[in-house]
Amino acid sequence: MLYLSQAIGRPVRDKLGEPIGKVADLIVAIGDRYPPVTGIVVTTNGREIFLHWQSVTCLDATGAVLGTSAIDITKFQQRPNEIRLKLDLMDRQIVDIDGRKVVRVNDLRLDEVEGSLHLVAVDVGASGLLRRFGLEGTWRTIARGLHRDVPERYIDWEDVDPVERTIASVKLRVPHKGLAQLHPADLATIIDQLSRSDRVGVIASLDDEAAADAIGEMEPETQVDILEDLEPARAADILEEMDPDEAADLVADLSDESRVEILGLMEKEEADEVQELMTYAEDTAGGIMTTEFVAVPATLTAGQTIDRLRELEPNAETIYYIYVTDSDDRLVGVLSLRDLIVAKPNTLISTFMYDEPVAVGTDASQEEVTDVVARYNLLALPIVDSEGRLEGIVTIDDAIDTLLPQPSKRRIPHLFSRSGNSER
Amino acid sequence: MKGPLIALSPRAVNRVRFAAILGVLGPGLVSGFADNDAGGITTYSLAGVRFGYNLLWVLLASQIVLFFTQEVGARLGLATGQGLAGIVREKYGVRWAAFMVSAMLIANVGCIIAEFAGCSAALGLFGVHPAVSALLAATVVVLLLTRGNYSKVQYLFVAVGIGVSLAYLVSAILARPDWGLAASSLVVPRLSVDKLYWLTVVATVGTTITPWGQAFIQSYVADKRLGPEDLMGSRLDVGLGAFLTNLIGGFIVIACAAAVWAVGTKVDTGDPQAIQQIAHALRPLAGEGATVLFAIGLLAASFLGLGVVPLTSAYAACEAFGWETGVDWRLREAPAFYGLLIFFIASAALVVLIVPLSGLIQVMFMAQVLNCLLLPFVLVFVMKLSSDKSVMGSLVSGRFLLTVGWLGTFLLVALSITLVVTSVFGL
Repeated sequence: MLYLSQAIGRPVRDKLGEPIGKVADLIVAIGDRYPPVTGIVVTTNGREIFLHWQSVTCLDATGAVLGTSAIDITKFQQRPNEIRLKLDLMDRQIVDIDGRKVVRVNDLRLDEVEGSLHLVAVDVGASGLLRRFGLEGTWRTIARGLHRDVPERYIDWEDVDPVERTIASVKLRVPHKGLAQLHPADLATIIDQLSRSDRVGVIASLDDEAAADAIGEMEPETQVDILEDLEPARAADILEEMDPDEAADLVADLSDESRVEILGLMEKEEADEVQELMTYAEDTAGGIMTTEFVAVPATLTAGQTIDRLRELEPNAETIYYIYVTDSDDRLVGVLSLRDLIVAKPNTLISTFMYDEPVAVGTDASQEEVTDVVARYNLLALPIVDSEGRLEGIVTIDDAIDTLLPQPSKRRIPHLFSRSGNSER
Repeated sequence: MKGPLIALSPRAVNRVRFAAILGVLGPGLVSGFADNDAGGITTYSLAGVRFGYNLLWVLLASQIVLFFTQEVGARLGLATGQGLAGIVREKYGVRWAAFMVSAMLIANVGCIIAEFAGCSAALGLFGVHPAVSALLAATVVVLLLTRGNYSKVQYLFVAVGIGVSLAYLVSAILARPDWGLAASSLVVPRLSVDKLYWLTVVATVGTTITPWGQAFIQSYVADKRLGPEDLMGSRLDVGLGAFLTNLIGGFIVIACAAAVWAVGTKVDTGDPQAIQQIAHALRPLAGEGATVLFAIGLLAASFLGLGVVPLTSAYAACEAFGWETGVDWRLREAPAFYGLLIFFIASAALVVLIVPLSGLIQVMFMAQVLNCLLLPFVLVFVMKLSSDKSVMGSLVSGRFLLTVGWLGTFLLVALSITLVVTSVFGL
């Protein structure tokens, strides 16, 4: 086991024991689970030379010993997948995927695995910090005297994700594999902590759907920042994947210029939907409703309706109620998924649908929506226009959102940055 | 224009208006107003009552340097998206980061002590016991951090700041100062070999350009996720902030010069009456109510500083040691952050309880001297980083900015060294 800080600055000797310089940095190849050390950077006579790892016979806290006596500096070139540990990782910020937060690298831990040295973990604990100050030994002695432990904290290399800026010195495309597997809400929490350029880097590496889910979980201000920093075409793709009501909220917050550009790049159908939703004031039923819902004509049978559902593949929030409309799109009934499944396949849905559906108008207030949802124990509430035509639905999760106090008060202000949200 | 024409929705209209209001009050303005905290008001007042108009040139000079240092700070935030301590650590390692943050923390503890002293001195004018004042100041810090809707509180502070400034402005005009002398003093340095003169010069610079101000502007810009395209807006904001700060400072000096110094009052900071004498600068406006007005202004200024300095300090320290970002900031999750805050509050409270009421002005004054002495340790990093292309990218300082910035830094270093040397050798 070796910590990077223990090796840096130690003497490098050749085969005969003659000092030739000092350890300046180590080079690892990214990609493997535990990146192997592939080279060493040595400072000698005020300049840096790169040496192949093969030419190093031994590296420990006392320094490095080379297997050669002649240094060949021409052979080594830093390859695209290689990074320098001190320059690119030490003291930088990385994402702790398990802990869902951004942390700073205090030290890097290397271990011998199958005969070669690998980067295995990131030290983010107090012991690493103390080691950097050369105080670890002293501190441990004191701690032992007081019968206390020195807090140590390591994160396995597999559970970290270097952020984009961290390794800006090399043109390495970070795949953010670990991040992509997180729940959108967790991913949003992490992205919220990143600087602006890193956010764009992470979003760029996700697929449209994952990006849309994560953006959907963010604060409105963050959403706008990110979308305006993305390529407009990419932003349009992501918006198409979002729920139309969320997309409409977001698009409304964009600058005039970006809004026109991004909407122009979206699929016509999605863009129209978003624009229609934007015409409703934010604090009305129309403003919080989504246009994604399942509506079928009353003439279908239960079996046909289930077939229709299979075709449409509605998402989780909207599948529980099937709305029944007449030829003018007027809402005439509603059935639950349960009603549909327990009914015999050849029964007409008009015979068992609930034909006095509860609905509110597009101009109803948010409070009214929440009240109705609570009173009738609904999972979703249909929203109709003045003619009774079904325009959209408010799902229970969106109805609840309006009840919550806006920003969570648990956090220390990011030095005033939340000022915009708290009053919105 | 390509794409469909989109009508501005009711939502969009709301947002645009709100953004416009927020945009006016940028970090430069906030930090500018916060510069006129308890230490600021006291130091500018002392400059005026001790040396009349003579130190106005220092205000102009430090205003210019303040603009450049704040501009560089904002640019660092725009380019890196990180606070000062974080980027120093990434670039120069954890030891240098610890060094810089230590210098900053010492200066900031001085500032926080000055805010507590301001609070005690202000309430002392109404006969409030220092222990009660210290308790009040501590409560203000805690409330601001835990309950504060920061954006609204800021507006309140700035409003009070503007109120105090107007009071001094009106007072300065009513006192019929020697405008000609004031104007010429602004551009022509009237130097002196008096030691107190130079100490006051150092304090005036130290209250205007501060280590915490550097950390504040950069963190603010970074946390607002502003980017390179916001450069011009930031410059405008910073310029306006620097200008207003010293405009207010200038009127405090002029009011004090005209209403106190010109009538021959000698103010001795050790004198229990000193604070009343300083308050006389507001007499032309408020008459016998001058003391009350001054006390209110000083109290508000203290709160203004308490709202910014402790938070900025704890923030910088956490950033240097990698404790800055947690999932949330509940007490259990961020012991370092809250530990630091408790340390700040406790040490400041302790000082104001030990120092007698008559010594508080001197405490506030000397805290500004300390600020100036420690400022170079922060500015050197700021200047070095701003000229580093690998950090700044396209926002790297041009030759002009670099020259002015380094010149200002070297002047500060020279000033500090001179002061230390003369003090040590008792010259």
